[in-house]
Amino acid sequence: MKYESQKVAYWFFATCMLLLSLQIVYGFIMAFAHMGYDGLHPWIPFNTARATHNNLLVVWLLTGFMGAAYYIIPEESGRELYSVKLAYVQLVSLVLVGVIAIAGFHMNWWEGRKFLEIPRPLDYLVVANVLLFLFNVGWTALRGKQTTTTATVLLGGLISAALLYLPGMITFDNLAYESYFRWWVVHLWVEGVWELIMSGILAFLLIKLTGVDREVIEKWLFVIVGITFLSGIIGTGHHYYWTGGPRYWLMLGGVFSALEPLAFLAMAVYAVTMARKAQRNHPNQTALLWTVGCAVLAFVGAGFLGFAHTLPQVNKWTHGTLVTAMHGHLAFWGAYAMIVLGIITYALPEMTGRRLYDTASAQLAFWTSNIGMVSMTAAFAVAGITQVYLERKMGMDFLEAQKATEVHFLGLVLAATLFTTGITLFIYNFIRYGLPVARAERVPGADDAVPGAWAEGAAQ
Amino acid sequence: MLSKSQSRRFFLGGTILFSLIFLGLTVDTMRQIPERTKARNMNESVVRGNHLWTGNNCMGCHTLLGEGAYYGPELTKVYTRRGEAWIRLFLKDPEAMFPGQRRMPNYGFSEQEITDLIAFFQWAGEIDTNDWPPEPDLKVSAAAAAPVPEAEVPPAPAMYAAVCSACHAIGGQGGAVGPALDTIGQRMDEAQLVAWLTDPQAIRPGTAMPKIPLSEAERNEIAAYLAARR
Repeated sequence: MKYESQKVAYWFFATCMLLLSLQIVYGFIMAFAHMGYDGLHPWIPFNTARATHNNLLVVWLLTGFMGAAYYIIPEESGRELYSVKLAYVQLVSLVLVGVIAIAGFHMNWWEGRKFLEIPRPLDYLVVANVLLFLFNVGWTALRGKQTTTTATVLLGGLISAALLYLPGMITFDNLAYESYFRWWVVHLWVEGVWELIMSGILAFLLIKLTGVDREVIEKWLFVIVGITFLSGIIGTGHHYYWTGGPRYWLMLGGVFSALEPLAFLAMAVYAVTMARKAQRNHPNQTALLWTVGCAVLAFVGAGFLGFAHTLPQVNKWTHGTLVTAMHGHLAFWGAYAMIVLGIITYALPEMTGRRLYDTASAQLAFWTSNIGMVSMTAAFAVAGITQVYLERKMGMDFLEAQKATEVHFLGLVLAATLFTTGITLFIYNFIRYGLPVARAERVPGADDAVPGAWAEGAAQ
Repeated sequence: MLSKSQSRRFFLGGTILFSLIFLGLTVDTMRQIPERTKARNMNESVVRGNHLWTGNNCMGCHTLLGEGAYYGPELTKVYTRRGEAWIRLFLKDPEAMFPGQRRMPNYGFSEQEITDLIAFFQWAGEIDTNDWPPEPDLKVSAAAAAPVPEAEVPPAPAMYAAVCSACHAIGGQGGAVGPALDTIGQRMDEAQLVAWLTDPQAIRPGTAMPKIPLSEAERNEIAAYLAARR
C-alpha cells in the first residue's frame, strides 16, 4: 500500500463480509423450502428470499469491485484518492439504498425482473451513487502520475457496467422486449464488462504477487478481454432462444456461446502460467491461492458448466430448470466472489500492517469454501438433471417431480454447511486483522514484514 | 510475438465489430417482436396482467418463457394446460388447491385482476417461442393403461372438465396427480361423493384433494356423473 487513502477500501470489504453472510442465510431459507420446510413462508415467501439472495449477491460483488477500485486506482495512478470523504458518503448511501431495497422485498415492493428487482425510484439512487463513485476514482485516475493498462481496463469495466445498467431501466409493456433488454444488463454484465473488472483486478494481483513484468501481464490481459467480447457480446443470444426472438438466435447464440469458455480457459492458463513464472515467493501465498483459484474455477463454473447447457439442443430441455442454478452458483463464485475475496486477502495485511496470512485457518477458509461450493454445484446438478428427466422429458407433474428432488436439497444443505464453515473462517480471519492503521502508527519494525514493502521494493 | 499495441488493437477492433453486429441484430429483433408476440392482441387487460405479474415478482418462484425461479411451475402454456376456470379458482386461494403441499402466497386478487392475469397468460402462451417448451419425449402414455375406451364416457359436467380433470383421468383423459376415476362409482355412491367433495379433509385428514368451492348444483352434478362411472 502506497497511499493512506487506499484504506477506505477496508470499509467496502467489511460491508462485503456482512452482505455475503446475509446472502448465505437467505440461501438456506430457500434450500429448506425446497425440502418442504417452509415455516418462514408467511413472512419470507420464496420470491422474497430469492430476490434478497440474488440482489445481496449483486450488491456485495459491486461493493467489492468498488473497494477494489478504491484500493487499486490510487496505487496504479500514483496519487492519493481524490476524496476519501466522498468515498465514505458513497458507501453509506449505497448501504442505505440496499437496506431500503431489501426491506421493500419483504413488503411486496419490487419489480419482478430477475436480478433487477429493485423498484424504479431506487434505480435512480443507484445511478446517482455509481456516478459519485465513478467521479471519485475517475478523477483520481485522470489526475494521476501515470495511466496503466490495468487501471484502464478496471475503470473501463466499471464505466461500462454503469452504462449497461441503463437499458434495464426502460419500461416495456411487452414481456419479450422487457426480457431482451434485461439480458443486456445481466448477460453483458456477467459475461462481458464484469470480466473486464475481474481481469483488471486479476492483473493487479498477478503483478503484485508474482513479480512478473507488468508489460507481459498487461499484454495478455488485452488478449483475454478481447476474446471475452468476441464471444460474449453475440453470446447474449443464448438468452434469446425461447423468449420471442427470431430463430437465428439459436444458431448465433449457440456458436458464440460455445466460444465463451475460451476466454475463461485463456484466463486460467494465464493465471497459472504467471504464478509459475513468479520470480520469488511473495509472503502472502493465500492471496495467490485465491487469485489462481478464481481463474481456474471461473473456467469450470462460468466457462465449462455454462457451455454444458447453452447449446440449443440441450437448452431446450434444461432452460428454466435447476440446471441453471447449478451453473449460476459456480459461475458467480468462481469468477466474481473469488476475485473479491482474493483482493481482500491481498489488501488486508497491506491496510492493517498485520501479517496474519498463510495461517492454517486462512488456508482452511479457502479449501473448505471451495470444496463446499463445488459440492453445492454437484447437488444442484443432480437435482436439475432429475427435474429435466422427470418433468420435461417424461411429463411428470411439477410438484411430483419436485418431491423427487427433495433429497438432493438435503445434499445441498450439507454442502452449503461446509461452504458456510469456510466463509465463517474467512470472516474470522478478516476480523482478526483489525482496523486499518495509519502507516506512522504501525509497530516499528512490523512494516518490514508487510508484503507491500516487498512489492514496492521490487517495483523500484 | 504479439506486441502490447497489437493486442490492444485486437481487443478494440473485435469489441467494436461485434458490438455493431449485435446492435444490428437488436434492431432486427425489435422489428420482429411485435409480430412474433402478436402484440396486436395486447389489450389493456393483458398489459394490466403483465404489471400484476412483475409487481408481485411472480418470477421469484415461477418461470415464464423459462425465465424466473424454479420453485413454482413453468407458466408459459398454463392457459391451455389448466384453463380459465381452474386458474380463477386457484388464484382465489392457492393453498386450498394443493393442501399440505408447496405454498403460494394469497395475493387477494380481485375478480378483475384475476381476469387480467388470465388474459396475460393467454397472450403469453401464444408468443412464438421457437417451439419451446418441447413436448415430453419419454412420456409413458396414460391412455394405454386406461381400462375404459374414451368413446364410452358421456360428456362430463363443465366444472368437472375445467377443474377436476386437471388432476384426475377418465378414459385416459386428464391429469395423473390424483387417482383415475373410471371406476369410482364402484367404491363410492352419490351421497358419499357429495360429502367427499364438500370437505375432503373431514373425511380423510391429510389428503391432497383440495376443497373446491363448488356451488351445490355443481357438486351434485359432478357427484352424479362420477357415481355412474362403474
